[in-house]
Amino acid sequence: MQKTVRVKGGVEAAFRLFTDGIGKWWPLATHSVCQNDAVACAVEGRIGGRFFERDRAGKEHVWGTVTAWEPPDRVAFTWHPGRAADTAQGVEVRFSHAGAGMTLVELTHSGWERLGAKASTTRESYTKGWDFVLGECFARAA
Amino acid sequence: MTYASALIALADPTRRAVFDRLRRGPRSVAEIAAGLPVSRPAVSQHLRALKQARLVRFERQGTQNLYAVNPAGLAALRAYLDSFWDDVLAQFALAAEEMEGEADAKRKRRNTRSGAKDRPRQGRR
Repeated sequence: MQKTVRVKGGVEAAFRLFTDGIGKWWPLATHSVCQNDAVACAVEGRIGGRFFERDRAGKEHVWGTVTAWEPPDRVAFTWHPGRAADTAQGVEVRFSHAGAGMTLVELTHSGWERLGAKASTTRESYTKGWDFVLGECFARAA
Repeated sequence: MTYASALIALADPTRRAVFDRLRRGPRSVAEIAAGLPVSRPAVSQHLRALKQARLVRFERQGTQNLYAVNPAGLAALRAYLDSFWDDVLAQFALAAEEMEGEADAKRKRRNTRSGAKDRPRQGRR
């Protein structure tokens, strides 16, 4: 599933806003594990850094881990908000010049096959269900 | 993040195999369990989890109790994931615009200030 958006400003500014500045714009109340009880979210800017939210009680909920940190062009992270890390997909965000002081942001959410990675070592039929979900559920969304 | 329940449900390989059995149409628990290396009660357990995640639904055909893929649940999962990133990126674009707006305003203020400094000098000339 890929999403693109053109935003105002340069590539560097867009990358910084998306990562360091994520607390300023991420729609926490609706797009978080704790919803209205979530008070902050942040990305630690390095490979292995955490992408997490903090709730009212100060507890941290990890959404994923940074797997690529290439400012200002690219950031990638595993994605498993509210789920165990072994059910993670991958999210990659690329930033490029789109002319006239605009930046193109391309977000790819992929790796559905990694859900239940153990499946690959079991019988082939175990993976077909997921192919079905991929085909029926996500291919059309891409 | 409400789609999480469907993703968690499908993260289990056995449950995915159970789900796979329903691709060609509604099946009874016995039909689903046939050929799977798990017991019928275990299959029923997985079906309950899939039903709770709205990925399958229960149908009664005559005297038979059948399970079937729930297309509405699948569509909802897809739509949710789709709109999730749409919403996130829309917020991001808005924040980028605000940030640029502030940067523009700062630049303008700077220009106005330097312009004000220039004017008297021009007047003296």
